[in-house]
Amino acid sequence: MSTANGKIRSSAAEALAEGRVTLVLGWRKKDFWWQSPVAFVESAAEAEQLTFDPFSVYNPVKYLLEAAGCHEKVGVFVKGCDSRGINRLLQDKRLEREQVLIFGLPCSGMVDPVKIRAAFPAPKICEVARDGEELLVRLSDGQERVQTADFLLEKCLTCRHPNPVVYDRLLWERVPVRSGVDALRFARVSSVAQQQIQERYAYWTRQFSRCIRCFACRNTCPACNCRSCIFDQAEPRWLGKASDMSDTLNYQITRAFHVAGRCFECGECERICPAGIPLQELNRRLIMDIDKYFGPYEAGLAPGDLPPLGTYRGEDPAGFDES
Amino acid sequence: MPVTREGFEPLIVAFCCNWCSYAGADLAGTSRQTYPSNVRVIRVPCSGRVNPGFIIRAFQRGADGVLVAGCHPGDCHYHSGNYHARRRFTILKQMLDYLGIEPERFQVRWISGSEGAKFSAVMNELTENVRKLGPNRKLRDAR
Amino acid sequence: MRRTGVFICWCGSNIAATVDIDLAVAAAKKMPGVVFADQNKYTCSEIGQEMIREAIRTHRLERVVVAACSPRMHENTFRKTVAAAGLNPYFLEIANIREQCSWVHKDKETATDKAIALIRTAVAKAARNEALFASELPIERRALVIGGGIAGIQAALDIAENGFVVDLVEKEPSIGGRMAQLDKTFPTLDCSACILTPKMVEVAQSEKITIFSYAEVEKVEGYVGNFTVTVRSRARSVDMGKCTGCGDCMLKCPVKVDSEFDLGLIKRRAIYTPFPQAVPNKPAIDRENCRWFTAGKCRVCEKVCPAGAIDYSQEDELRTEKYGAIVVATGFDPKKLDNYGEYAYGKHPDVLTSLEFERLLNASGPTGGKILRPSNGRPPKNVAFIQCVGSRDKAKGNPYCAKVCCMYTAKHAILLCEKVPGARPFVFYIDVRTPGKDYEEFYNRAYEEFGATYIKGNVSKVFPDGEKLLVRSVDALSGALVELEVDMVVLANSVDARAGAKELAQKLSITTNAYNFFNEAHPKLRPVETHTAGIFLAGTCQGPKDIPETVAQASAAAVKVAALLGKDSLLSNPTVAEVNEKLCTGDMSCLAVCPYGAISEKMLEERRGRETVRRKVAEVNMALCQGCGACTVACRPGAINLKGFTNEQIMAEVEAICL
Repeated sequence: MSTANGKIRSSAAEALAEGRVTLVLGWRKKDFWWQSPVAFVESAAEAEQLTFDPFSVYNPVKYLLEAAGCHEKVGVFVKGCDSRGINRLLQDKRLEREQVLIFGLPCSGMVDPVKIRAAFPAPKICEVARDGEELLVRLSDGQERVQTADFLLEKCLTCRHPNPVVYDRLLWERVPVRSGVDALRFARVSSVAQQQIQERYAYWTRQFSRCIRCFACRNTCPACNCRSCIFDQAEPRWLGKASDMSDTLNYQITRAFHVAGRCFECGECERICPAGIPLQELNRRLIMDIDKYFGPYEAGLAPGDLPPLGTYRGEDPAGFDES
Repeated sequence: MPVTREGFEPLIVAFCCNWCSYAGADLAGTSRQTYPSNVRVIRVPCSGRVNPGFIIRAFQRGADGVLVAGCHPGDCHYHSGNYHARRRFTILKQMLDYLGIEPERFQVRWISGSEGAKFSAVMNELTENVRKLGPNRKLRDAR
Repeated sequence: MRRTGVFICWCGSNIAATVDIDLAVAAAKKMPGVVFADQNKYTCSEIGQEMIREAIRTHRLERVVVAACSPRMHENTFRKTVAAAGLNPYFLEIANIREQCSWVHKDKETATDKAIALIRTAVAKAARNEALFASELPIERRALVIGGGIAGIQAALDIAENGFVVDLVEKEPSIGGRMAQLDKTFPTLDCSACILTPKMVEVAQSEKITIFSYAEVEKVEGYVGNFTVTVRSRARSVDMGKCTGCGDCMLKCPVKVDSEFDLGLIKRRAIYTPFPQAVPNKPAIDRENCRWFTAGKCRVCEKVCPAGAIDYSQEDELRTEKYGAIVVATGFDPKKLDNYGEYAYGKHPDVLTSLEFERLLNASGPTGGKILRPSNGRPPKNVAFIQCVGSRDKAKGNPYCAKVCCMYTAKHAILLCEKVPGARPFVFYIDVRTPGKDYEEFYNRAYEEFGATYIKGNVSKVFPDGEKLLVRSVDALSGALVELEVDMVVLANSVDARAGAKELAQKLSITTNAYNFFNEAHPKLRPVETHTAGIFLAGTCQGPKDIPETVAQASAAAVKVAALLGKDSLLSNPTVAEVNEKLCTGDMSCLAVCPYGAISEKMLEERRGRETVRRKVAEVNMALCQGCGACTVACRPGAINLKGFTNEQIMAEVEAICL
């Protein structure tokens, strides 16, 4: 990991020092072992704080919307999933390719703090670091080694593109795609889909009943990049203010519909949700339907093409009784 | 007053494209092809004009069934509006189903301007199917 | 709230018998914004319209709701009414309480409830209606006629006569169409060619008309007054400028294929004109059968052509032109008889379709006008004519009546008797239908004067029986079984829409009925218009018709075209998309779904603090936008709206209709 950190720090410092960019987006360590949020680095000296560790899960791409408006060129470190967010913004014409210097970071997966905590309930965890295929967990009373694969985030276990799909420089060797990804990708969706309709309704209303309508899922989503969101409009009022199930469903259905064919599975919505609503599951359901009805499509791979809901084929099948 | 299943009269909101389905509805009228008065039509230029937000709002405000009706594929007055509608509503309908909202409540049909009898038949069928399902309580707001 | 007036129409008893008008008026008076509500027996009458104008003045109405028949019927009428009283015409809304309420519901109580809901919905929408203004669009003073049969010919001639330039596109190498295949016409028995060919020549000689034969419409874009049409002229392999039409090539060509014009009764060559009077009278090479194109040797036509007109290297030519109006006149196809094996068509050479029989009658046909049995070349004595083959047959044919068969069969019976002395026609019919001037009299002549035997009955089977054919039927009037030995059977096969009609309709953005005949805008009042402004119909492409009807409709279409092209400009449809630049993200999702190319990117300069920043937004070309609204849904932030059907209006309707 130290080599990784060394590489991102020197790459950022160099680009800033040479004046090729005036801002670099990466990650830095914050107060807790499980936090490596997005860092904004504007000088070579500041680049020393950059970190890429098992918790650099945050997608820095959404910040480009603001940053690219204030800086002529911005450097950004991207994992595979983040890089698809760059393509998302390019396809949505919210970013020009020349505005960003992209450092690609092949990524073998991010660690789920919940799983770590579950494995080490009693002692205080001080640090979790990657060491080859293993994680080195430093505890208040010693240290332990565990297999990384057992502690990865669900989104990383189902990741089809661990290597950046768009970049100017790749900082290290590509990593292989995890085996069994395709089988796992829709596992959660399928298990819910197989339930009876009333069970599905009960499941989802139980999930959504926790929604506090904080809009964090929207705010963090790189696909939700409108200048002004319909949920914030007064006339017509697309979304009621009352936090009841009817409007929560309205919100969640509309949000999912707006990212249909555009969601590239970074999972930020689900990660950020303070209520732990499995939003990625709903997004994946839509991806499944798009694959089924309109042909396989993965968002964020080719910025030049039209998203599935922006095009059609005359011979498309219908997901309803067309008679 | 709670609505009992026996006394339940469903409210069906139908978004009809001006060129085919609204004309089909008119033809049903001209040829006196009766259907239940539970059905109320909102005229839109094209099925491609129907925003999923309209459909959700109808359910929120008490519609028990919603229909989007447009020209048959290939016959869209605007070339492609119904093709876009077909993609959008394929996704929306599957999503409603996945969230546990009876998919029968939301229907998309192609009804041409010459299909007055079909319009009437679809309305009869939809009203009866929704009547069997009972009132929409899942998406309806508290008001 | 806007000061709204509601006018509820009885439409005589059409609405008033099913909707309690007093109750509806009382309910309307309580609706938000309504300051005036009243009723009228016929709101569309002058008295009814004056009531609206008067109420607008005295009650200072800002919005008007008329609860009456479908907006497809009288929306324009009432828009003019409110405009006459000084309101913007788009301040009007219609509540359709006739076609979509009183005519389809029986129970007065629930129908009244629904009528009130529909009125409430219209009031809610009207409150959000905004003033809309049409802009003026230029008109391309050129017409396109698709199809060079009698309908297209007549339309082209009449449009040209009105002083406009016409392009006539015909799929075959010659104009003339079905009428050219006919021998004589009912009920006058004039020779079809004698009345058609002068018109064909007139078309060819007209300075205003250009014929594009062997050509088809490839693509249609644009809108009334400004269509852009791409026509594909198929490679003819003959230089039209050099060819003199001498016909030497056709004599020497070694390849013989079934003549389409003569329905395969004789052969034509691979280089051919469909018939001797063809216009243009210059041949085309049928590349699918030409030996040079299929086998790479021959070139006989090139060797014999004295004008050096043969050009094997020709390619299809695509030509794009602007037109103000389009007449569709693509005609019909005789029904294929695959489903009717019981009549032995295709199994016995003496079972013919009526159009094949027509060719036997014709002096330039395969037999030189002699009626001869294809099996042995001898004239027939007894001929059975079977009516309604594939017509009025829900089970395996068309449910509709093909309209012309009764009359042409009477003609065939008469001509048979005239040409073959002693011959006896037997006509098997379901009903004989002869509406038309002098038609019934003509039919009467067939059996009174010429002794045709009419037998009411469905033929169940035709058996080949040695040299003869056995026709089995029931005489529905006596109930007796009929078994008739004949020498020839003529099947009056139904009229189908032209193959490819559906595809053409899609190109033109017009609609077809279940049988692929093009739909007129209104079955009674707008029989030659389509729902797409600027596109008109003529002839059998709209439904079965005889020649006089076809010609009349063609002339009618020509008048509509002339009226359109004679205008200085057109008023555009103001219900077009509009971009709210504040909300627009510039991701151009709208552009992706716009079928008209009406949306483009525009750079906006705006102040941001002390800086001026540039950002991309979408822009709508109002002349190109047709108002479908697909963009409004593609736009996630709701930044693009459709005037007349705004998000605000439709949401208000949804809220009101669910109350």
